[in-house]
Amino acid sequence: MTQRHPDPPAVVLRGIVRRFPGVLANDEVDLTVAPGEIHALMGENGAGKSTLMSILYGLARPDAGTVELAGRPVAFGSAAAAIDAGIGMVQQGFALFDTLSVTDNVIFGAEPRRRGLLDRRAARTAVAELVERHGLRLRPTDRVGDLPVGLRQQVEILKLLYRQASVLILDEPTAVLTPAETDRLFDVLRGLAAEGRTILFVSHKLHEVLALSDNVTVLRDGRVTLSCATADTDRAALAAAMTGRDVELDKVYPVGSPGEVLLSAQGLTLRGHPALDDVSLELRAGEVVGIAGVAGNGQTELMAALAGHRRLDAGTVTLRGRDISRLPVRERRAAGLAHIPEDRAEAGSAPGATVAGNLAVGFQRRLARRGILSPRAIRAHARTIIERFGVRAASENVPMRTLSGGNQQKAILGRELTHDAPVLLVEQPTRGVDIGAIVQIHQRIVAYRDAGHAVLLVSAELSEIRALADRVLVMYEGRIVASFTKDEATNEALGLAMAGGTR
Amino acid sequence: MIDAALFASALGALTPILFAALAGALCQRAGVFNISLEGTMLVGAFAGVAGSWYTGSAWLGVLLAVVAGTAYSLILAVGHVSFGGDAIVLGVAINLLAVGLTSFLIRTVFGTRGTFSDPALQGLPDLDLGGIPVLSGHSLLVYLSWLAVPALAVLLYRHPWGLRLRGVGERPEAAASLGVSVTRYRYGVILAGGALCGLAGAQLALGNVTLFSENMTAGRGWIAVVAVMLGRALPWGVFAAALLFGLAEAFGFRLQGIGLPQQATDAAPYVVTLVALFVSSARIRRRAST
Amino acid sequence: MKTVLITLVGALVLGAVLLAATGANPLEAYRAIVTGAFGPDGIQDTLAYAVPVVGMATALAIPLRAGMVNLGGEGQLVLGAISAIVVGRHVPGVLGIVAALAAGALAGALYASVAAVCETRLGVPLLVSTLLLSYPAMSFAAYLVRFPMRDAGSSLPQSEQLPPDVRLPAVTDGVTVGLFLIVAAVAVFAVVDARTPAGFEARVTGWGPRFAAYAGIERPGLTVRLLACSGGLAGLVGAVVALGFPYRFIDGALITPQYTWIGLLAALLAAANPLGTLVAAVFFAALTSGGFAMERVTQVPRELTAVLQAVLIIFLAAATGLLRRRRSPA
Repeated sequence: MTQRHPDPPAVVLRGIVRRFPGVLANDEVDLTVAPGEIHALMGENGAGKSTLMSILYGLARPDAGTVELAGRPVAFGSAAAAIDAGIGMVQQGFALFDTLSVTDNVIFGAEPRRRGLLDRRAARTAVAELVERHGLRLRPTDRVGDLPVGLRQQVEILKLLYRQASVLILDEPTAVLTPAETDRLFDVLRGLAAEGRTILFVSHKLHEVLALSDNVTVLRDGRVTLSCATADTDRAALAAAMTGRDVELDKVYPVGSPGEVLLSAQGLTLRGHPALDDVSLELRAGEVVGIAGVAGNGQTELMAALAGHRRLDAGTVTLRGRDISRLPVRERRAAGLAHIPEDRAEAGSAPGATVAGNLAVGFQRRLARRGILSPRAIRAHARTIIERFGVRAASENVPMRTLSGGNQQKAILGRELTHDAPVLLVEQPTRGVDIGAIVQIHQRIVAYRDAGHAVLLVSAELSEIRALADRVLVMYEGRIVASFTKDEATNEALGLAMAGGTR
Repeated sequence: MIDAALFASALGALTPILFAALAGALCQRAGVFNISLEGTMLVGAFAGVAGSWYTGSAWLGVLLAVVAGTAYSLILAVGHVSFGGDAIVLGVAINLLAVGLTSFLIRTVFGTRGTFSDPALQGLPDLDLGGIPVLSGHSLLVYLSWLAVPALAVLLYRHPWGLRLRGVGERPEAAASLGVSVTRYRYGVILAGGALCGLAGAQLALGNVTLFSENMTAGRGWIAVVAVMLGRALPWGVFAAALLFGLAEAFGFRLQGIGLPQQATDAAPYVVTLVALFVSSARIRRRAST
Repeated sequence: MKTVLITLVGALVLGAVLLAATGANPLEAYRAIVTGAFGPDGIQDTLAYAVPVVGMATALAIPLRAGMVNLGGEGQLVLGAISAIVVGRHVPGVLGIVAALAAGALAGALYASVAAVCETRLGVPLLVSTLLLSYPAMSFAAYLVRFPMRDAGSSLPQSEQLPPDVRLPAVTDGVTVGLFLIVAAVAVFAVVDARTPAGFEARVTGWGPRFAAYAGIERPGLTVRLLACSGGLAGLVGAVVALGFPYRFIDGALITPQYTWIGLLAALLAAANPLGTLVAAVFFAALTSGGFAMERVTQVPRELTAVLQAVLIIFLAAATGLLRRRRSPA
C-alpha cells in the first residue's frame, strides 16, 4: 500500500484553469499525489482529464494555477522540459514509430552518442539491462510495428524508465489489453510504485481503478467532484461523481428472438498479419452477435471482409441467400448491408464537411429526383435524422467536427440505421462517447434488432458485449475460438477465451 | 552507341537533378511534401550567374546560389510549417514566383530578355581526375553531389538528427511528445533542401553551360520530385532514379545523332521513368499481396 | 473575405517594394495594370486571355474537387489543339468546326484517361503519371509541326493555317464564340457539382478518400471519369484557341502564356469550387493582361504581375493554413 513519506508530495496541481474557445476544460482543479502513490484520475470524455495531464507534461500551459514537483514550483514550456524534470507520459494510442526498432524507439530524443554519431551498442546495452531488471518481455532489435499491443505498451513504459521518470502518467493504459495483460501491467506498475516512483493513471474503467489505485480523483465538466482514498469509495459513487447522475451500471438487455438466417459467412480466410483463418458465422434476424477479443486478433479484418473493403483469399459471404463475396462495397450496401466503422473521424465521417453533407452520404441517389440532387432535400434528410436520433447540433449546416464525440456517433448511427438494411455491422459504437450517449446508442441498437434486423457487433468493451449480445463469439489470432450464449458469457469465461484458451 | 562519352554526359546531366532530388528526399523524410524544387533551383541558377558576374568568381557565384536557395526556401518553411499552408499550393506558387521573379530580374538587373550570357562570365572549371574515363572532367559540384548521397545516408541512419528527422516524418505527434521539435526539424530540412537546390541551380547555370536563360530548369525540379517517389525517399534509391533519368536523357541526345528527331528523344526520359515506375509499383504490389 | 483583402493588400505592398527597389513608381505601375486590364482597349485583351485561363482552371478544378491533381494540363491542351488542326484541315465548313472541337476534346479526354489508368491499374500516383505524360505530348506536337504538318512557306515551327470556313467567328477582337463554349462548360460543371449525385460523390471523395471508400464510392471508376472530363475540357480549350486567330498551331504558343499553371493556381485557390474558380481565374487573367499594358506604358517588366499573383497565393495559403489551425485547436 502507500508508504507514508515525510517528503513533500511528488506532484501538486493547484487551482489549474484552462480555457479553449467555447469551453472551460479545467476549472480550478486541485490534485495532490504523494511519492510512491498510484493515483487514478477519472472522468467521462471531455471532463478535462487529458487536458490536465497535458499541462503536467508540458504540452499545454494553464491559464491560471500552479504546478509543483517535489515541493518546488515548475512551469514547463515544453514536453522536453517536463521529461528533463522526470515526468513521463504514455499517451492513449501510444507514441511509437512502427518502422523503428524497440531500441530506436526507446532512445528517441535522448540518444547516446559517440563521436557525434549514434552509439547503437550503448543503446542496446542500456535497453537490454532495463528489460531484464523490470521483467519486460522485449527484444531490443524487434521492429515495433510487428509487436502485439501488450508488448508495444511495454516499450512505452521502457521509454519512461530509460529517461528515469519519477512520475509516470498513463492515459487509458488498459484500453487495448486482454485481462491477462492488464494483470501483468498492474504488477509492473506496483513494482515501480514500490521503488518510490509516482504513478498517475487516467481511466474510465471503474473496476480497474478500484483494483489498482491508492487514491482517486474524479473530474466532471472540468471540476473536481470527488477526491478520496480508493478504499473509501465504490463503483456507484465513482460513476455518480463522473456523470452527476445515478447510473444503472451493467445494464443487460433481454435477448431477442432470432428468426431466419440473414448473413452467412463460410471459411473466410485472409492472408496477412493479422489474418483471418477459416472463420464461419451466421447472423439471424432479430439477434445481436457480439465479437469479443482484444484488438488485433482479426476483428477489424473480419468486418472489412464482410463489408467489402478487403478481398478474401478464400471463403464466401451470403446475404439473404445471395452470394456477395465478389461484390464491391457499393453493391453490398445496396444488397442490404450497413456498416458503422470503428474509425469515426477518418472512415465514418468527414469532419470538415457539414452534418447535412455527412448524413447524405449513401443516400445521394435515393434523394435525387430525375437526376437532380437538391441541397434542400439533403438538408431535410439531415434534419429528419438529427431529430429522430436526438443528435445535439446547432443546425445541420455546422461542420461535423463541432459536434461532441457522442453526438457525432449518434449521427453516424442514425445515418446507417436509416438505410433500414437487414444486416448492420457495428464496430466500437461507443468509443470516446460519454455515458449518457452510450445508453442512447445501446437502446437504438437493441431497438434495431427488435425490428427484425441482424446486428454484428465488435467491441473492445466486454461490458458492452455482455449487455447487448445474444450470442458472443471470441476471436483469437484470426480464428473464432469460442462461442457463448448470453448466460454463458461471464467475464471469466470470456477472458479465458480471449487469451487463447478454447472452449 | 553506348560508350564512355554517353555515361560521362549522363553524369553531367545528373547533378542538378540529384541535388534537387536529395533535397526533396530529405524533406519527404520529415513529412514535408516539397514540390518547390523547380523554382528554388531556378532562383539558385540566377543567383549563381549574378554572383559570378558581379564578383568575377564562379565560386562566389556558387556561394550566392546557396544563400539565395536557402533564403528562397524560407517561403515554404514559413508558409507551410509555421502557418500550416497547403504544401502543394505553396509549391506551385513558389515555382511560378521563381519564373516571374527571375524573368523580372533578368530585365531589371541585366537589361536583357531571354538569356543572359557573356564571354566574361566565369563558369565552373572542369576537374581532371587523372584522366579517368567517364569520371574525370566534371566540375567540383558534380563530385560533391555524388558525395552527398552517402553523406545523407549516414546522416539519416547513423546520426541522432537523422533518427529524430525520421520520427518527425513518421509520426510528428509522437516525436513532439518526446521533446523533439517538429517545427525545428522541418525548418531544417526545408532550408537544407534550399541550399541543395541552390547548388543544383549553380551547376546548371555555371557548370554544364555558363549562362542564365528564363525557365532554364525546364522541368528538372519536377523530375526530381518523381525521382523521390521512385527512390522512395532513400538516398541511394533517389540516386538510382536520378541516374536512370540522366542516362535516358543522354541516350536521347545520342539517338538524335543518328537522325531521330529531337522531339522523340526529348520525350524518351519521361517515358522511361514512367515505365520504371510501373515496374517498381508492380513489384511493391506483388510483395504486399503475399 | 477579410483574409482575402488583407493578403491582397500585403501582396500589393510587397510588389510596391519590389518596384521601388528597381526604380519604378509603384502607383503608376498599379494604375497602368488596372486601366490596362479593364480600360476600353484593355478589356478585350483581358477577355481574350481569360477564356483559355478560365477553361484550364475549370478543367483542373473538375478532378481537384475530388482531391485529385491533374498536372498534365499542358499536354492535354496541346493535344487538343493539334487534333483540332488536323481535323479542321480535312473537314470543311461548320461540320469541320464541330468535328475539330470534338476531336480536340476527345484527344484530351483519352490522353488524360491513360494517365488515370496508370494510377488505377498500375499504381503510379496521378500527380506523377499526368506530369510525366505531359512532356511527351508536347514533344509529339512539336515534332508534328516541324515535320509532317509543317507550314512550307515559313521557317517557324508552325502548322499551316486553317481554311477560312473552318474558323470560329469572332465576337470581338481576339475573342471568338469559343467564349460561350467555355462559359457553358463552367455552367455545366457548376450544376453537376452542386446538384447531381455524381458531383456529390466527387465532393465526398474530396472530403476524405477513406470516407468515400467506406461509403461505397468506387474510386477507380471515378478517377477515370473525372480525368476524362478534365482532359476533355483542356483539349476543348486547345481546340477553341486553335480555331481562333492565327488559326494555326504554333509550337509553344499555348505554353508560354502559362494558361495551365495560372489556371491551376486559380483552381487551388478556390478549392476547386466551380464559381470560385471562375472568379479567381478571371482575376488572374485580368492581372496578367493588365501587366502587358503596364509594360507598354511604364517599361516595368510585365513579369511583375506574375510575381504579384504568386505572392498573393502564398500569402493566402499561409493565411488559410493559420485559420484552419486556429479552428481546430486539437
